[in-house]
Amino acid sequence: MTMTRAELEAAAAQAFDGLTLVPDAEQSWQTIAEMGWLMMCVPEDRGGLGQGGEARAVIHHAMGRALVPGPTIAQMAVVDALAAGVRTDETDALLEAAVAGDVMTASMALSLAEDVLIAVPDADRASHVLHMTSERIALVPLEGCEVVGRETWDETRRLFDVRVPGSQGVTIAEGNAARELAETVRANLLLALAADALGGAEAALAMSVEYLGTRRQFDRPLAMFQALKHRCADLRVAISLADALLWQEAASPDLSLARAGALNALACQVYKETAEEAIQLHGGIGLTLEHPCHLFLKRAFLNCALGGDADYWEECAGRERLAEISAA
Amino acid sequence: MIQSLENLRAELRQWLAANAPTDWRGADTHEDFVSGQRAWFAKLVDAGYAVPHWPAQWPGGGRSLAEQKVIYEELARADAPRLLLTFVSTYHAFATLTECGSAEQQARYIPRILEGELWCQGFSEPGAGSDLASLRTRAVRDGDHYVISGQKVWSTMAQYADRCLLLVRTDRSGVKQAGITYLLMDMKSPGVTTRPISQIQGDEEFAEIFLDEVRVPVSERVGEEGDGWRVAQATLASERGLTLMELSYRMRGAMWRIAELIHEGGRIDDAGVLRDFGRLSARVDSVCALADAYLQKRIDGTEGIGDAALVKLGYSRCLRDWADLGVRLGGLGEQYRAPITFGDLNTGNWMADFMNSYAWTIAGGSDEVQRNIIAERMLGMAREPKHWVQEVGQ
Repeated sequence: MTMTRAELEAAAAQAFDGLTLVPDAEQSWQTIAEMGWLMMCVPEDRGGLGQGGEARAVIHHAMGRALVPGPTIAQMAVVDALAAGVRTDETDALLEAAVAGDVMTASMALSLAEDVLIAVPDADRASHVLHMTSERIALVPLEGCEVVGRETWDETRRLFDVRVPGSQGVTIAEGNAARELAETVRANLLLALAADALGGAEAALAMSVEYLGTRRQFDRPLAMFQALKHRCADLRVAISLADALLWQEAASPDLSLARAGALNALACQVYKETAEEAIQLHGGIGLTLEHPCHLFLKRAFLNCALGGDADYWEECAGRERLAEISAA
Repeated sequence: MIQSLENLRAELRQWLAANAPTDWRGADTHEDFVSGQRAWFAKLVDAGYAVPHWPAQWPGGGRSLAEQKVIYEELARADAPRLLLTFVSTYHAFATLTECGSAEQQARYIPRILEGELWCQGFSEPGAGSDLASLRTRAVRDGDHYVISGQKVWSTMAQYADRCLLLVRTDRSGVKQAGITYLLMDMKSPGVTTRPISQIQGDEEFAEIFLDEVRVPVSERVGEEGDGWRVAQATLASERGLTLMELSYRMRGAMWRIAELIHEGGRIDDAGVLRDFGRLSARVDSVCALADAYLQKRIDGTEGIGDAALVKLGYSRCLRDWADLGVRLGGLGEQYRAPITFGDLNTGNWMADFMNSYAWTIAGGSDEVQRNIIAERMLGMAREPKHWVQEVGQ
């Protein structure tokens, strides 16, 4: 049974109301598992809730808004791969454990590297890591892999480099099937990052507007200055446009990798602009560690880097659209 | 009747291949352009594609939103001219009449729109642009007529119009919005003079209207006396809703024009150009998606203050950038002066299109006014106090 976006949003707002920023990681992870979010997009015949891309976007939008820490985006990539790959008793068992909340992780940059996987969240506490090459997708036990912590400016995510020794682990897909599955997993990850970005942008704008309404200088609230007002309005337009595209693409049954990339590029750019403006609009207080502005800025920049070069995706999308127009 | 979208698309392509005017950009004179527009409108009316946004009780109406989008995309794909001449008639006049007009006014005027009767809009004045409610064109009651004197400006195609949606001031005391009345004026009435305005791209899309003791029957009033501001919102809402969906989908349908420039310039492997094209495509898609979401809200009755402003601002800025990319890719060729272009957004000359795009960043509430609406009424940011205006302005 498909839930409507409004129903999904109401449920997501119960888990993370957005009032508490960066909620406790351990507790958040429990909530996410208990809410069934990890099985949300798993087909019903594999024990999941059978929801589509809209549900995925709602979840990550809510988590982006509250700056929820943890490896959910990576875990969902693992779940996507397991649910769509070769079905064996072993993969069934792994899928069951993954949706129940046993931490399994993946490179959030989703590169197709042979040996070193970068930007792998929570690799120090995960049991497995998703290993995707152009020939094979596998789930590799982290025991026996070299794991190096990489401290990022964004403190809401804990990233690691993982060295995978040779081709090991449980095979999920090979050959053409692996390449196709890798595209789907990457497109889903880009959609998730885009939703996270727009949730964060929404929160950063709301925070800025609220601040401008309370901060007084020259005997009036800053919100009264048209120069500041118009910048907020422009951000509102940019976020609303990217949002509209997010929900449309999320509901699309055949989102191509290039389109997911172009969406991600737009959403991350909007997040980055909003977070940059948030600090400027807050003035001095926005530069302090005690104020949460910097958390949005750092997560925005990390999202931009994780999703891959916006220029690259825009070029891919341009090439794809040009070919579509020529064929029509 | 709702038909499958694929069928509709196929049927339209076939019909457009046989019927869409191909030489419309070659019009030498304004008269040629106007007669071409009239003929094209009549053809579309006959085929049932002229007013897909009207309700089902009118011929050609009753199309679903999904069907409308297909129609707009295919019209743009076939490079058919946009219905500029009948724009105000089919959107603004229709919306005003159906939402606020009397049954008698509806029965009289709506069928005539399909027969080609042309409407223009007499809203703005030399002293009342963004601050429309400060308009001063006076109407004085004389028996069963109003006698009107004043001046209107920025009236699209008024020089060709048969009738005018006219805002006048019937009361100068009290709140400025409360003294406005909405009238339907015959443009052939004695005392009406129009003068086209020469625009920067050589067009005469807009005109001024001079009113010298023009008599309009009281029966031509829409709503009550003093109710004009409310009625005007119906007129303007149509512009910000449905027209923007048509324009957004036409922009998407016309992406091939930029694709063609990329091919002609031999730049299909130029990463920078592909990137700009991909970025613009995603933005155009986002504008279409926002227009969709907005119309869905209107259907569901959940439209909020400022929603329309978001769509208008999103569209107008994207349109400017779309024309800008065309100008850039077209190079020097776009800098050679083109003949009359007639205020469309796909004139065949990108520099002209660029200049035309100002119609959407200035007209119908400028981008700056939209930003105020969004900031103050949607985001709840404090309004400027009125006394500032008085200190500086008077």
